[in-house]
Amino acid sequence: MSRVFGIELRRSAARGTALVVLLLGLVLIFFAGGILFADGWMQLAMTQRWYLALLWPLALAAGGWQARREHRSRVAELFASTPRPRALRIVPTLGAMAVAVVAGYLAMGLLAGLWIAGTAEYLPAAAFGVAAVGCLALIAATWLGLAVGRLLPSPVTAPMLAIAGLAAVLFTPWATRPRGWLSLVFSPIDQMNMPDAYTTVPGRVSVAQACWMAGLAITAVLLLASGGRRLRVAAVLPVLAGAALAITVMPHHNRTVLDAVDPVARELMCTEDAPRVCVSRVHSGLLAEFTPRARAGLAALAKLPDAPAEVHEDTTVYPDDGRPAWRADVVLLDVVAAPNGHLGNESSAAEVVVRAFRGRATCENPSDPADDLAAASWLTGQAPVSPTPSTLLSAGTHDPETVAQATQRWQGLRKLPEDKALARVVALRQAAVTCSARDGIITGGTP
Amino acid sequence: MRTVSMAETVATTHPWAVHAEGLRVRAGRHLAVDELDLALGTGVHGLLGPNGAGKTTLMRALATVIKPAGGRLTLLGHEVHGRADLRAVRRGLGYLPQQFGFYPRFTVREFVEYMAWLKEMPKTEVPGAVQRAIDRVGLTAKADARMKTLSGGMVRRAGIAQAIVNDPRILLLDEPTVGLDPEQRLDFRELIRDLGVDSSVLVSTHLVEDVVASCTDVVMINEGRLVYQGTPGDLVTRGGHGDAGDSPAERGYSALLRRHRTEAGR
Repeated sequence: MSRVFGIELRRSAARGTALVVLLLGLVLIFFAGGILFADGWMQLAMTQRWYLALLWPLALAAGGWQARREHRSRVAELFASTPRPRALRIVPTLGAMAVAVVAGYLAMGLLAGLWIAGTAEYLPAAAFGVAAVGCLALIAATWLGLAVGRLLPSPVTAPMLAIAGLAAVLFTPWATRPRGWLSLVFSPIDQMNMPDAYTTVPGRVSVAQACWMAGLAITAVLLLASGGRRLRVAAVLPVLAGAALAITVMPHHNRTVLDAVDPVARELMCTEDAPRVCVSRVHSGLLAEFTPRARAGLAALAKLPDAPAEVHEDTTVYPDDGRPAWRADVVLLDVVAAPNGHLGNESSAAEVVVRAFRGRATCENPSDPADDLAAASWLTGQAPVSPTPSTLLSAGTHDPETVAQATQRWQGLRKLPEDKALARVVALRQAAVTCSARDGIITGGTP
Repeated sequence: MRTVSMAETVATTHPWAVHAEGLRVRAGRHLAVDELDLALGTGVHGLLGPNGAGKTTLMRALATVIKPAGGRLTLLGHEVHGRADLRAVRRGLGYLPQQFGFYPRFTVREFVEYMAWLKEMPKTEVPGAVQRAIDRVGLTAKADARMKTLSGGMVRRAGIAQAIVNDPRILLLDEPTVGLDPEQRLDFRELIRDLGVDSSVLVSTHLVEDVVASCTDVVMINEGRLVYQGTPGDLVTRGGHGDAGDSPAERGYSALLRRHRTEAGR
């Protein structure tokens, strides 16, 4: 058995399948949509799942291609004279194809993982569940391909399977509308796109998806092993049972994954020494990079009375639960992982200073962003930075109009005597703390 | 000391390796084997007959690929019928079909090993048996070549290697000499003579000379019925000077066939 398994690994479509899954997977995960997994391992696992959009149909087609071998080689006559039952004969092929897709998928994950290995520290158990469901989905696909390829041995079976698989993946959300949770049951890619930093895939979701895929895989094996019509009809039972079980286990509300937040990922991890700088656990690998910039920002703010003493990552997520409590002595700032996995541009010292003039999120009298920027520039002594096209879309950068206004107001502040300018900046900060901002604090105009 | 052959030591629970009584086998809707009585023991049996005589259909039935439509077929003491469990019988079978299908990406060794696995050979015996089978058909130098790179004659020999890998008690070779050059045919004759010591070998062929040279027994069928069963020596005596053929055996073949056709025509 083990020797025959080795032969099948070498001579079936297994090696080619593993290689194509790996190469296509790497091209997709690095080049299709930018680096969507810079935040960490859970994001990597989910992004891999997202690209099953193409890998899943590919695995289906690979199975269909492999299944044609017996027909193409006309070995049926010879094999019919041998004692080993069909059900056992297919085992090495099933095993080799399963090993192939899993190896390709895991190698894709590991190679992409090298990209973030230096910065990603938080590895939640749920990420393994997400990856395991991905592997199971590919196994089910390639086995289903083998089964269909056996029942319809034709050169067009493999390409048709690829098209059908792609259509199934793409149309599942449309077909299950408005019950989005049903789409999450049946489609391995549903809600896996562009995961945010604190996201997770609840265990129940992974378990439900695993039930469905396992049912599909068992049905495929029965179809492959079956000699007669009766067994083929019986083969639909596992997939029905898997679907029923998955539907029972899956939470019956939409956006289960999109709205899921991993509280552990969101917990703050802080420096031990003062001034304290804290980032979420998912970004803990960025703390060392973030700390000097955050402290430089705090140093620039030190001229203010009751200056903020700490910088925390702003871990607010939509919807509105678990918003960090606003404190006057804490500057809240988004911490963003750049595509290379390191700290993004936005989390700079200048941005810390700007954010000190931002009031609580619920404040209905927010200050003019141009005022914030002008005050911050006066404190740091550096002109407001015009956004470059690459930073324009990212959070925390200001639009060119705001920057132009801020530059004008900053120059106004510079013309004033030091103490008068400081008084205006202090007033703006005070307005932020008390939620009483109005126009003209920086320009000196009356309300 | 004399080498004791396997046939001598095996328990004789069944007198014949192949025993057909009134056997009927369909090829599609046509009754290709019709009321055939045949008993084959150890030895090399040459199966002769004109095209369409039912040779391949008979071979397929003996290989348990198609089920008999009627009569009684017993292989190695096990009766072959619709619901029979054929695993034990099949472990003792070797079969080279007329259209020998193989996996072109496998090497010769891998394919023979794969067939040994399908024949449920004990795991520990497989590597040795595979090498022996490849050596016996003279493919040692090509053992690790892909099947798709082999010439027609080599493919045929690889087909024989897979058929004999499990030391079958019944070896069925359907047109094994097609594609072999004269020298290879001589080697092949020697090989099947050797195999016939322990097994019941049934070789279907059109080449009467091959049968005379290498078989212990001649089986001739026509239109699904047994025409003649006897020794090659006896076949030679059946022909007269008026019969078609370039050798005594061919003349014997023609004479038997002509007589059977006349009798059937009556």
